Amino acid sequence: MTNEVLIIGGGPAGLTTAKSLVDRGANVVLVERSESLGGMARELTCKGLVECRNCGACFAIDRASEVLKEPSVEVFLLSDVVSVKKDEKGFEAKVKVSPRYVTAECIGCGKCVEVCPVDGKAVFPPTGTGMPRTYWIDRRKCLHFKKGECTKCADVCPTKAIDFEDRARNVTRKVSSVVYATGMEPVDACEVSRLGCGTLKDVISSVDAERMLNEKGRLTRPSDGSAPKKIAVMQCVGSRSVKNGVDYCSKFCCKYATKISQLIMDTDPEVNLDFYFMDLRTLYEPQDEFKKWAKDKKTVRLIRSMPAVVQPGKDGKLLVRVPTETDTEVQENEYDMVLLSVGMRPSGAATELAGALGIRTDERGFAIADDELAGQGIHVIGAVSEPMDIEETAVRAMSTAARVATTKEVAK
Amino acid sequence: MSVRKPKVVGFCCEKHGIDSAILAARSGREYDASVRIIKVPCAGRVDGIHILQALEDGADSVFVLGCLEKNCHYDTGSIEGRKRVEYVKSTLADLGIEKERVEMFNASSTMAWKFPEIVSKMVDVARRLGPIGKAGGDR
Amino acid sequence: MKARIQVLACKACTEMPQLLDMDDLMNVASERELVVSSMLVDRVCDSKVIRRVVAEASERDVDRVLVLACQKKDVSPGLLAAYKRAGINEFMVEFVNLRDEVVLPHAGDKERAQAKAETKAVAGLERLLMLQPLEKVEEAMRTKNVVVLGGGAAGRKAAEVAAAQGAHTIIIEKSSTSHKAPGVIMPNSTLLGAKGYGGNFVLSIKAGEKVEELECAAVVIATGGGWAELKGPLAKACKSAVPLYRLHEQMQTGAVPKGPVIIVDTPDPAGKTLAVQDFAWDETLELAIDLKKRQPLEEVYVVFQEMRAFGLSELAYKDAAELGVRFIRYDRAAGPKIDSKEPTKLTVKDLAHGEVLTISIGTLAFAAIPANRDNIGIATALRIPMSPEGGVRRGSIQRWPVSTPRPGVFVCGSAMFPKSKDMAEAEGEAAGLMAGRFAMKGVIEYGGVVAEVAQEKCSACLTCIRTCPYDAPYIGSAGKAEIRIQACQGCGMCVGICPSKAIELRGFTDDQITQETRTMLGGDF
Repeated sequence: MTNEVLIIGGGPAGLTTAKSLVDRGANVVLVERSESLGGMARELTCKGLVECRNCGACFAIDRASEVLKEPSVEVFLLSDVVSVKKDEKGFEAKVKVSPRYVTAECIGCGKCVEVCPVDGKAVFPPTGTGMPRTYWIDRRKCLHFKKGECTKCADVCPTKAIDFEDRARNVTRKVSSVVYATGMEPVDACEVSRLGCGTLKDVISSVDAERMLNEKGRLTRPSDGSAPKKIAVMQCVGSRSVKNGVDYCSKFCCKYATKISQLIMDTDPEVNLDFYFMDLRTLYEPQDEFKKWAKDKKTVRLIRSMPAVVQPGKDGKLLVRVPTETDTEVQENEYDMVLLSVGMRPSGAATELAGALGIRTDERGFAIADDELAGQGIHVIGAVSEPMDIEETAVRAMSTAARVATTKEVAK
Repeated sequence: MSVRKPKVVGFCCEKHGIDSAILAARSGREYDASVRIIKVPCAGRVDGIHILQALEDGADSVFVLGCLEKNCHYDTGSIEGRKRVEYVKSTLADLGIEKERVEMFNASSTMAWKFPEIVSKMVDVARRLGPIGKAGGDR
Repeated sequence: MKARIQVLACKACTEMPQLLDMDDLMNVASERELVVSSMLVDRVCDSKVIRRVVAEASERDVDRVLVLACQKKDVSPGLLAAYKRAGINEFMVEFVNLRDEVVLPHAGDKERAQAKAETKAVAGLERLLMLQPLEKVEEAMRTKNVVVLGGGAAGRKAAEVAAAQGAHTIIIEKSSTSHKAPGVIMPNSTLLGAKGYGGNFVLSIKAGEKVEELECAAVVIATGGGWAELKGPLAKACKSAVPLYRLHEQMQTGAVPKGPVIIVDTPDPAGKTLAVQDFAWDETLELAIDLKKRQPLEEVYVVFQEMRAFGLSELAYKDAAELGVRFIRYDRAAGPKIDSKEPTKLTVKDLAHGEVLTISIGTLAFAAIPANRDNIGIATALRIPMSPEGGVRRGSIQRWPVSTPRPGVFVCGSAMFPKSKDMAEAEGEAAGLMAGRFAMKGVIEYGGVVAEVAQEKCSACLTCIRTCPYDAPYIGSAGKAEIRIQACQGCGMCVGICPSKAIELRGFTDDQITQETRTMLGGDF
């Protein structure tokens, strides 16, 4: 019993901790709120075409696949930890497992989605590249639960995987340690309305771009489906700002945006790409690397200036008004597509459960990873405690797993 | 008269190569049945002779699929695989065979879109160029 | 001994979605020669089914199995375990992934799917007939030692965590100073060479004047950055310039550096001799803030190309700026200069204003963490690739963050890439966990799918040795290549490249590959 660890959150942090702990001989209970494992990484695209660009997305997805096959990890999806109570031996956790209505027989053929009559659908595939590749029904939207008649998905399912009889259940687990890894959520690009997100179709956020690339492997303009030839990438949208979004740096956006830019140019060498930034904060890479790459590609410009506004231009194009680097004049540059790199906010740091566990948040909403709490067997890791990319998350998860594994008894 | 269906051979590594093919399948994506997936431990295992033998045994096009370079499970395997493919491509001209029949691809385990695209490309090559030695195209 | 094959097919994986006619398929398969048992079950991954299947296999004296289902990883490990107990070699169980390679991707093409599935089954059977039983062997790790190269922040954490896993840690530290750490610390020591493979390394260590041999199971490279390296025109012109950590040390003792204090990112702004300009922003900002708090009236300048205060360090940047620290961004084309005739003044063009500033130098510090020059020797000894900047590269991310391509060797901290102490320590812990776990396995499991050299064909061209990332091939006493099986990872790179075709990969021989290809091409679909 002293070997059981509860991990709250099935993203890169939770997954890496789970695998590290299992390799140490521990048993793990992993609770994930959504329908699949992988966290934010599910909707991040691989940023290499021939050569790996070290974005870390596949690391998280590989861990998700691995964890699902580990006999020592009990995974609860569509689940919430309702309460965690301290007792003499450690903690007692109550988990509410919501019904999925789709069994493991699901082969992901997607026929159910095709026939679902609900506007916006009620049955969904796993988010992005999340694991397992099993669909799920959102009861709140499903017609069957509203009127009890519709069985279109069940009728068409080739493996009879739809199970309307699925029920919520409550499980209790006794654990010696708790790992809190609820991760992050992206800043909404629409918070910075002057940049056109939400109003101009071809202005998309980095989240959308990642999703699109993950799905299709290339970018297309939402307005007409054509391939963009002139793209602007803008950094720090909603980060490093006192007015909009957050005032800290979200750490990974430069890394991901520069690599997406490289991917875009790999896929279509004829694209003209302008990269607007304040400071180039590419992680784990020499400062110059992206600059050298850009110089090499004659059609990539690095512009150290923050655009003021994105307006509709002629012929469905986008007009970006930006001060020049020396701040002496204003330029107007035309693009087919604008990509806004958004930052992140911690997710789930200030919930009732976090409070009950004694997790405090700082003034910015990040959960504080406390040595005292760790001594009590409660570990806060990952992006919920500070901005970090997948690789750093993995490293910190491993270092936490080292500490958790050696905490056989909870301090009184 | 029945049209001879195209024959494509794909040497896929057992790591991210096959992972990407499986992810595609499990994401509801379909691809042409003409492809014959031959699993190898690493793209670096593929020898020029395997590719040439495949062409001789009736393949219209052959591809090798490995992990992304620098993210190969065996460090330099996919780079080695590419070297073999490039070498074979360079000798094809001497044999009077179109270079595009042989190709190297890289993928990672999160690319659901890539494998169907690869198959589509290589089936297209097979259809366009037809069986080796016959005056090309679909009959 | 003739082969005796069992064909096992799983309905759960293959019959759905009513695409394949599994009965038909089983008929085709079972009619093949040497198939003595054919079973179509509802669900392979069911313990009752496994028992039934393996019982029949035992009864019929089966020696090899063809499983028509999904991929090996997804099938319950109980199946292979049960076969093993029944005496069937694990390398004689072949999995044909009908589910992901036929049923799912060809769901809309029923006719072709059936023909393809049949061909795959037949190809599988033919391959099965060509397989040989392979054995996995264990070699005991002679020690539980984890050698940590470098006793700095990262190295000490690595030793701590490795020791907590039960390993015995030995820190090899080149300087004479030593801090508290578990296990043994060898000061004034450096790595000269390394032999062996993960689990049983034999390191050659220069300890003071002597050369010692040290056996270990795993190695952690934690050599840190070349902090003391101050190469470049600025360092040359200003003899009193110090690396940032020296400034930090001084301030710890209570001494306050003479102002104005200028912290420049690199002593070589043009990047001619020192490629790395990166450094630990956290420490720089901390120091700048500390300086301002202690001497609010003295100027503190931070001169840089890129302001890389990641994440929450951005807030320290704001705080520093509010306290009056002056941040000056420069471009390589017009970087900071010190005239050797006027070594007390630093001139730099401030990009924000476009003006050229001249600053009196009270104290000059460089924040850069260039690569440690020792890395070359270490990387060569351990046969690990290096980054172009002189750091020790980590391997593929597939092998996890702090690992190298070589099993048993891990790397952390600024040895990889310049970073702050906090991150270096986290990496040290991660590396310590991996190294400690590795060492505590106690045995090296090897064999199975490994390379084998047919000595009579070998021309000793050394191509395999140059190709293998794991140091597995070597020239043996007969003057021909041999494979160190303990190091062989079974990738087959050497096999594919051998110009004499002298190497084979058991389980993936040329014949096996070409036969499978030929059969698949022969299928009419």
